[in-house]
Amino acid sequence: MKYVKGLKCRECGREYPVEPIYVCEFCFGPLEAIYDYGKIKRALTRKTIEKRPKTLWRYKELLPIDGEPQVGLSSGFTPLVKADILAKYLGVKELYIKDDTVNHPTLSFKDRVVAVALTKAKEFGFDTVACASTGNLAHAVSAHGAKSGFNRFIFIPASLEQSKITASIVYEPNLVAVDGNYDDVNRLCSEIANKYRWAFVNINIRPFYAEGSKTIGFEIVEQLGWDTPDSIVVPCASGSLLTKVWKALKEFKEIGILKEVETKIYGAQATGCSPISTAFKQGTDVIRPVKPNTVAKSLAIGNPADGFYALQAVRESGGAMEDVSDEEIIDAIKLLAKTEGIFAETAGGVTLATYIKLLKEGKIDKKDCTVLCITGNGLKTAEVLDGKTAEVYHIKPNLASFEEALSMIKQKGGK
Amino acid sequence: MSEVKKLRVRLTFPQELIKEPVLFRMAKKYDVMPNIRRARVTDTFGEMILELEGTETNLQQGINSLREQGVVVELIEGDIIE
Ligand SMILES: Cc1ncc(COP(=O)(O)O)c(C=O)c1O
Ligand SMILES: [Zn+2]
Repeated sequence: MKYVKGLKCRECGREYPVEPIYVCEFCFGPLEAIYDYGKIKRALTRKTIEKRPKTLWRYKELLPIDGEPQVGLSSGFTPLVKADILAKYLGVKELYIKDDTVNHPTLSFKDRVVAVALTKAKEFGFDTVACASTGNLAHAVSAHGAKSGFNRFIFIPASLEQSKITASIVYEPNLVAVDGNYDDVNRLCSEIANKYRWAFVNINIRPFYAEGSKTIGFEIVEQLGWDTPDSIVVPCASGSLLTKVWKALKEFKEIGILKEVETKIYGAQATGCSPISTAFKQGTDVIRPVKPNTVAKSLAIGNPADGFYALQAVRESGGAMEDVSDEEIIDAIKLLAKTEGIFAETAGGVTLATYIKLLKEGKIDKKDCTVLCITGNGLKTAEVLDGKTAEVYHIKPNLASFEEALSMIKQKGGK
Repeated sequence: MSEVKKLRVRLTFPQELIKEPVLFRMAKKYDVMPNIRRARVTDTFGEMILELEGTETNLQQGINSLREQGVVVELIEGDIIE
């Protein structure tokens, strides 16, 4: 069954058939998948969804594939954790963590987008998948690509940290480290994507890939008992995830799964790379590209392709955007771990720290039911905590030494 | 003769350059053909989405000269490295 009608230019509205293309030939605007919602409404109800396996594919009619899912068959449907301890600490009424730190198999929300992108790449008949990435996306394309039998080309800047290289190369893709600065790598990859007939997930497959992010939004609604929260906080790099979370809520309304959508969408960035939140705060539509300088590397996109649409979504929903310092990010990572037992990567720190800032500014109400999208696992960026964690007690292997330490712990008020 | 290439870019003009024919001058000087697809210009800001056609060297020199004058030149697909 096909539910996708085609692709449509977000700027001029011209329509295109379902093909591995991503920009409008006329105005160079980005293309987006469009659906036959009437048909989906008849096929997809709460009941049908509830009967399906707990993966992101339970909403498959709202994803841009023509046949059955082929990749990422265990991805998605991550826990929605009621964060009572953190809520109490912050003095807020109702708080949830959408916990994509445990997405299968590569521990970030990129498992969602890549599951959809590679299923589509199979349908298009590609034998090779590729991406340009400094982290989560590289891990997801390498892993899902291995499992689904693709040749894989992963492009990274040569300066990337060893831990990130290991977490990609272990799946044995063709890992290509490009000598040059960030702009050089960007330019090269867009040239390669034009020349080789490969499925570049975030270039020529982008209209399909990006749709995978909607599943975070669908899951939040279902896991709240088919209800919407008052506010959702989403971390932004290119701005795609935020745009798609908003689209997900609107689509659920469109097909009658939700009656009303009154959720406000909030965008979170690191101050060291905040082109979208800066535009929001200045009240303009103009996204000025920046050179990123932040610990939140997974969000360090200085020239965000979907920044304009993210701004629109935030404004349309009545939300807001904020950005936070590296110090606030680290503190938030630690706070989330010690209250809720969830170790998030820097993007998660950005989300929680931004939430705290928005509470202080009165932009999110303490009485709101809020969901924080925590999108990646802390073990991937553990080095950012070096020298910034609580202290370890070193003792000799005897009871006296232990008891000495214990009395120190008690003196400090520890339990 | 080196090969002619096409490059899709977004130009962002600061306020003081909006009324200047920077693009036209660059195109003439470096023999680069601009093909404008979309533009938004307000009093304080100008944005143009276009395709530039020329040899690799000319494109590079043309883009460098725009940047030197304060125009922000970016790939229209945004940053590709995620
Ligand atoms: C962990 C994590 N969270 C959030 C994002 C933001 O995604 P987007 O580019 O869709 O704004 C990324 C993207 O790279 C990411 O790696
Ligand atoms: Zn168009």
